[in-house]
Amino acid sequence: MVKKRTIWPYVLVAPAVFIILCVVFIPVINAIIMSFQNYDLRRPKEIAFNGFSNYAAACRDPLFWGSLTRTIIWVVCGVGFQFLFGFILALLLNKEFKGRGVVRAVSMIPWVTPGVLIGLMWRWIYDGNFGVLNDLLLKVHFITDKIPFLSQVTTAFPSVIVTIIWQGIPFFALMLLAALQGVSTDIYEASDIDGASAWQKLILITIPSIKNTIFVTALLRIIWVANSVDVIFNMTEGGPAYSTQTLSVYIFNKGNALNLGYASAMALLMAVLLLFVAVPYLKMNFKEEV
Amino acid sequence: MKQRLLGKKTMAIAMAALMAAGTMTGCSAGGKENTETAETTKKETTGAVTATSTAKDGQASTGEIKPCTIKFRYWADNTDYSQLMQDIIKKFNAENGKGITVVGEETPWDGGAYSENLFNAKMGGGDIDCATWKLTSTPLFVNNDLLADLTPFIDAWDKKSDIDENIYNIMVEAGDMERVYVMPWNIQVLYVYYRPSIFKKAGIEVPKTYEEFLEAIEKCTMDTNGDGKTDVYGFGMRGAKGGQEPWGSFVNGRGGSFKDLTTPEAVQGMQDFVDVYKKGYVPPTAISDGFSEIIANFKSGLTAMTIHHTGSSKDMEKVFGDDVSAFPFPTGKGQWTSMGDTETVIFNSCENKAAAFEWVSYLAAGEGQKMWCEGTGNVPVSKSIQASDFFQNNRFMKASIDGQGYAGIVPILDTTTEWISSLWPNTVSQALTGSITPEQCMRTLQDGLYQ
Repeated sequence: MVKKRTIWPYVLVAPAVFIILCVVFIPVINAIIMSFQNYDLRRPKEIAFNGFSNYAAACRDPLFWGSLTRTIIWVVCGVGFQFLFGFILALLLNKEFKGRGVVRAVSMIPWVTPGVLIGLMWRWIYDGNFGVLNDLLLKVHFITDKIPFLSQVTTAFPSVIVTIIWQGIPFFALMLLAALQGVSTDIYEASDIDGASAWQKLILITIPSIKNTIFVTALLRIIWVANSVDVIFNMTEGGPAYSTQTLSVYIFNKGNALNLGYASAMALLMAVLLLFVAVPYLKMNFKEEV
Repeated sequence: MKQRLLGKKTMAIAMAALMAAGTMTGCSAGGKENTETAETTKKETTGAVTATSTAKDGQASTGEIKPCTIKFRYWADNTDYSQLMQDIIKKFNAENGKGITVVGEETPWDGGAYSENLFNAKMGGGDIDCATWKLTSTPLFVNNDLLADLTPFIDAWDKKSDIDENIYNIMVEAGDMERVYVMPWNIQVLYVYYRPSIFKKAGIEVPKTYEEFLEAIEKCTMDTNGDGKTDVYGFGMRGAKGGQEPWGSFVNGRGGSFKDLTTPEAVQGMQDFVDVYKKGYVPPTAISDGFSEIIANFKSGLTAMTIHHTGSSKDMEKVFGDDVSAFPFPTGKGQWTSMGDTETVIFNSCENKAAAFEWVSYLAAGEGQKMWCEGTGNVPVSKSIQASDFFQNNRFMKASIDGQGYAGIVPILDTTTEWISSLWPNTVSQALTGSITPEQCMRTLQDGLYQ
């Protein structure tokens, strides 16, 4: 049977494509153009093309390199521990027990809470004078003096990383739980007959069976966490002494200061770095569709 | 069947066409609006220039007022102030007698995002006629030709002299050094809050000099229960965004100034700031303490002194009654305190500038000024209203008025916003934690401000 060629599908999707072009592609192209300009809205009369000056300035900027290093730590620790605890939670929630539905619903709370609210909430939890965390640690005699978690260079960054871990665990748990429920129980029964230990079942059956889900969720989360601003901004605004300033927060701060040319250049550099993560994800998606 | 299929197809095409048309209409309307706004702005910029030229010739021409609607954007710090502003608007609308109707549009301050949102709105062609204001935003808006020149209006205003000349000068400095783009409204002069009971326990009087103030900080830091830990800190230092205001008093107290932050005097002021932190006279959280934290620390009794303005005085009185008072920041080799400011502006795109000026002048020296300042506890700019009993008999207001003579602002440059929001807190926290010296800190701050 010969398929009839028709223009109607194209006409019908045209409005959606047009809107996507307007809200995604035009701003991206605009950002690329701005990254080659001295685009500082504080000095609008000086806006002009300046070639690769913004990129060169970024390469010379110690704050850029510091922020990039922190972004790598932020992503590796943040996503790594989110995955670890999310996986453990998913394995627990995959077991039958009384009240499992309630536990599943409650464990989603961090994921459905807005990042701004999470930032503010944890800021007060960590507060060095009235924070509940200090109070608890003092009560169990774990510490003898209150710790100003967000006011010390040494503790501020680990503190915000703990917050992002807390926020992201449910996402991994949810995705991995869905994947775990798709693994046939027959395989586990067969392995029981063969005398496999729990560890062997985890390594040889569970993880290989859900590896695609692990891969996709980890890639997505890396991109999201690398780009996230809300939690850090609401907890520390990148301080003290730039100790919690990741690249996305630095870009946000520069953008807020209306130095849009420099902010765009850094954003594009960051986009290039994230392509190393995005390309395997896109390839995988494309393969699945084909 | 075929007919039903045809019907579905037609429906789908119609919907798609409608969607596309809607999008196109949206685009074209937006384009038109933008063009119109651009045209208006262009025309009115020319108009403003003409008016200015006229004003320079001594013939202020402000135009006739016709009945019109003025869109006024403002922020209010709480629901009481919000209601107060609505009451002022209602009173003005009822009593102005010129057919001017002000429509108040409230948006949150949102840690300063108010100004950014206002900028985005005006750059996008928003139809706001006038708004409440902070001086720090002036260079950005002036550079983008968004503000109307108020010089001819103020020159022709019968209450011009009711506002101190110094305040107009500050408005001029924030603009292009020639014209007044910003209408004074009210000021907040920072002073030192203190707890008389803690001063008594420490055996000290209200400090008269900067050195006595530093000594008071030390003496008020106490271990009240003998467990070897500090229970009351002498001073509530603000190390986060906004902390540049009290910090400026330390720098000036040693004889430094904002003109050159690298002088030995300015560096010594920075050293004092570092010392009170390192010696443990301020809470260990001081580096990241912002407005909420310094107020919470003072209200909980954790700190004996802190610096803020009358905006928090009602709350302080509610908590401590008579056991809270205020003194102006004492004098050393120099003396300075920050003058918080709130003004109003009229935008170039406003079609009825004379009517808008009626409204902003009502807020500056009329009944609007009296109602707002009495209701919020801010210091009025109108000299006649300042002289009233309400302001003279209040101890916090008195500390503000006493400090008015040496109050100033951080230089308003196009770098100021970034300097305040990012460079100052991060650089000063580097100095407080010892990763850079006070000299390096002041050099970085100087370069960042005057780049």
